[in-house]
Amino acid sequence: MVHLRLHQIETYIGQYHILQGISFEAKKGEVTVLLGRNGAGKTTTLRTIMGLNPASKGIVEFNGEEIQGYPTYTIAQKGIGYVPEDQGIFAQLTVEENMKVAIKKDNAATQEKLDYILNLFPDLKKFWKRQGGLLSGGQKQMLSMARSFINDNQLLLIDEPSKGLAPIMVEKVMESIMQMKEQTTIVLVEQNFMMASTIGDYFYIIDDGKTVHNGTMDVLKEDEEMRRKYLGIS
Amino acid sequence: MDVFFNLTLNGLATGMLIFLLAAGLTLIFGLMDVLNFAHGGLFAWGAYSGIWIYSSTGSFLIGMIGAVATGFLLGWLTEKWIIKPVYGNHVQQILITLGLMLVLSELLKVVWGPNQISASPPDVLKGSWEVAGIVIIKYRVFIIAVGLLMFFVVQYILKNTKIGLVVRAGVMNKEMVQALGINIQKVFMFVFMAGAGMAALGGILLGPYSGVIHAEMGMEFAILAFIVVVIGGMGSFPGSILAAILVGLSGSFMAYYVPDLSLAVNMLLMAVVLIFRPQGLFGLKG
Amino acid sequence: MLGLTKTRSYLYLLTALFLLIFPFVYESRTLLILLTQVFIFAMFAMSYDLLLGYTGIVSFGHAMFFGIGAYTIGIFMKSFEPSIFYLILASIVTVLLTGIISFFIGLLTLRLKSHFYAMLTLAFSGLFLVLAEKWRTLTYGNDGFTFRVPDLLKDRTDFYLISLVLMLLIFLGLRRFIQSPLGRVVQAIRENEQRTESLGYNVLHYKIIASVVSGVIAGIAGMLYSISLRFVNTSVFSIDITLDALLMTIIGGVGTLIGAVIGSGIIEFAHHWLTEMAKTHWIFERWIIFFGIIYILAVMFFPQGIVGTVKNLKFKKKDRSQNTQA
Repeated sequence: MVHLRLHQIETYIGQYHILQGISFEAKKGEVTVLLGRNGAGKTTTLRTIMGLNPASKGIVEFNGEEIQGYPTYTIAQKGIGYVPEDQGIFAQLTVEENMKVAIKKDNAATQEKLDYILNLFPDLKKFWKRQGGLLSGGQKQMLSMARSFINDNQLLLIDEPSKGLAPIMVEKVMESIMQMKEQTTIVLVEQNFMMASTIGDYFYIIDDGKTVHNGTMDVLKEDEEMRRKYLGIS
Repeated sequence: MDVFFNLTLNGLATGMLIFLLAAGLTLIFGLMDVLNFAHGGLFAWGAYSGIWIYSSTGSFLIGMIGAVATGFLLGWLTEKWIIKPVYGNHVQQILITLGLMLVLSELLKVVWGPNQISASPPDVLKGSWEVAGIVIIKYRVFIIAVGLLMFFVVQYILKNTKIGLVVRAGVMNKEMVQALGINIQKVFMFVFMAGAGMAALGGILLGPYSGVIHAEMGMEFAILAFIVVVIGGMGSFPGSILAAILVGLSGSFMAYYVPDLSLAVNMLLMAVVLIFRPQGLFGLKG
Repeated sequence: MLGLTKTRSYLYLLTALFLLIFPFVYESRTLLILLTQVFIFAMFAMSYDLLLGYTGIVSFGHAMFFGIGAYTIGIFMKSFEPSIFYLILASIVTVLLTGIISFFIGLLTLRLKSHFYAMLTLAFSGLFLVLAEKWRTLTYGNDGFTFRVPDLLKDRTDFYLISLVLMLLIFLGLRRFIQSPLGRVVQAIRENEQRTESLGYNVLHYKIIASVVSGVIAGIAGMLYSISLRFVNTSVFSIDITLDALLMTIIGGVGTLIGAVIGSGIIEFAHHWLTEMAKTHWIFERWIIFFGIIYILAVMFFPQGIVGTVKNLKFKKKDRSQNTQA
């Protein structure tokens, strides 16, 4: 079942034509990976879905409803969570406060979800009262993901979670995403191919602002030529 | 000793008035990236409307409430009709708020006439106490008390309520707050109105303190508030009260010992801060 | 050379000639003095447009330089003697003072965000106002002082012509400046500061140059202003003067230079007529509210002002006709 669908999305930032035709589908319960070189437009695609850089043309459809043009907070309220590239941690707020900003209803269900999340990310429990800005890179990533997960978001947009992390942290991030995948659909932007190919189900390659290729992850794992052509790796 | 104590009291009182103006400015800037050059106009309107209500009803308390209500109303109108349409464009924003300042000041003269209006404290706050041979003017203590009360109230809201949390988060990262499903426009309106209300309160408190109110008082105090916001740090609430006290005290002492230099000293302070630490003493943004 | 179309050049030339001949064909002392004021404030507004319209800098302290010019000439004329020699000396001092002060203030604050520059120039301007009030031995405080001017400038018609010629020279000079490589960099900064910086230009350097040129011209305008009144007081440092520049530039048209001249004409004539009307109907005393509201609307809906909007309409028409041809 198609959870999120983009059709011929074009986005300008100032006068720059960043996205020139992005089309893809993310199926429910799957991890759809957006791959591509630096500057190809992957982050902008996520930001366009969230309404942070509104599209000038094209359609963004979520659960069958067209959401392009809506303000960011409305899009978020429809059940889409966003984990940006820089994690977007409120540096002077504590871990607890960071989570509180995200929490909509303070009830038993939320408490249950919170317990689940803290078990998933035990470090956050440990540093509950510590300022977000003082956390390590990996912990910030955990916090950002936890924050996007505390509400009943059905779709998560995650931007390069493994960037700048040590291999052991990357492992942890992968594990967490695999767990979260059980409850939500995930659209993942990731340059780390090892991670992308391990946890991803389906991929789309973005080049020069356009979606140029797609397929199941198994296919990409076999196709060395495609990897070298679009991702610069083999 | 008497002199020293009174200069300090005077400086603290002035500082509190500047704080009421600067607190709103700094939070509005920190959250919305808007420097409201019309803030002084809200201050002046608070003074005029408050004093008018006071003289009409005989109750200073009702006057204060009236002033704050005027502040809220004008703040709401300003945010909706002036700030929001040009949101995102710094140059337009700066230009338009100064234009509003002009209109507000002139409107004051249309409604209340171009002359100064005198104001005096209510009977219960008139006069002074004598403690250990030192004369303490009651009204000054009142101003300090109100200022401190406002500080603690706002601080409480910021630290202990959801909206306060959202405001603090918004100052750090507006986009993320929206991505978490919060309508930042509503938060903007809330902060702008709160800032306007505080400014208006400062205005009416100034009336009986200086004895007269005039249309230019808005701009005069606004300049001091700008200096405070720069020194304390744009977007820093604690910075605004500390810097305001500093500026108030230095102004008070300078005015006594070297009267011609008082404004210059504050300007010098601001220049020094700008050179060495442009984000201010406690600032988050530069 | 000046970047003007043929039609516009002819239009300007005709207008300039008309203005030059005007005092000899029509006798009206009031109109003569009024037009002189228009020329003086046109210079002031043009200097402001250089900053706002062409460099993208919002200054709230332009009165500072205006006032420095006004007081310098007054002080020289009063303390020494109203001769041509001292006039020239005062001019040199004005240019130096405004240049140096605008340089230092620019150095201090132009590297910061636009909000800071606006705030600081406002504060500095306030400082100069207080200084003028307190330094009574030099400035006679709020009351100000009158002074005599050299014989050359005594005649109203002569002064009219001198102001007109100066205004034309400044207009031409600024147009040259804008068309020059230096001017183009300055405009690039207004368009996109980051990009200009990444292209290797020292943005601060260019901003300061624009700021200094602007400040000096404002100072010259100030000098002419107080000469025209033979009087100077603290009002030359007031925020009203800066607001005048803002109103004229915005309503006339930012970034067009001629807009500043037109804006000056509109504001000065309106001021004159409305003040006359105020004698019978008190509401006109608050005429400035009317302009304040127009200003706000202009900033919101017509940031390009009158001249800019006309330009855009013409451009749109041309575009459409070109499209139909294609």
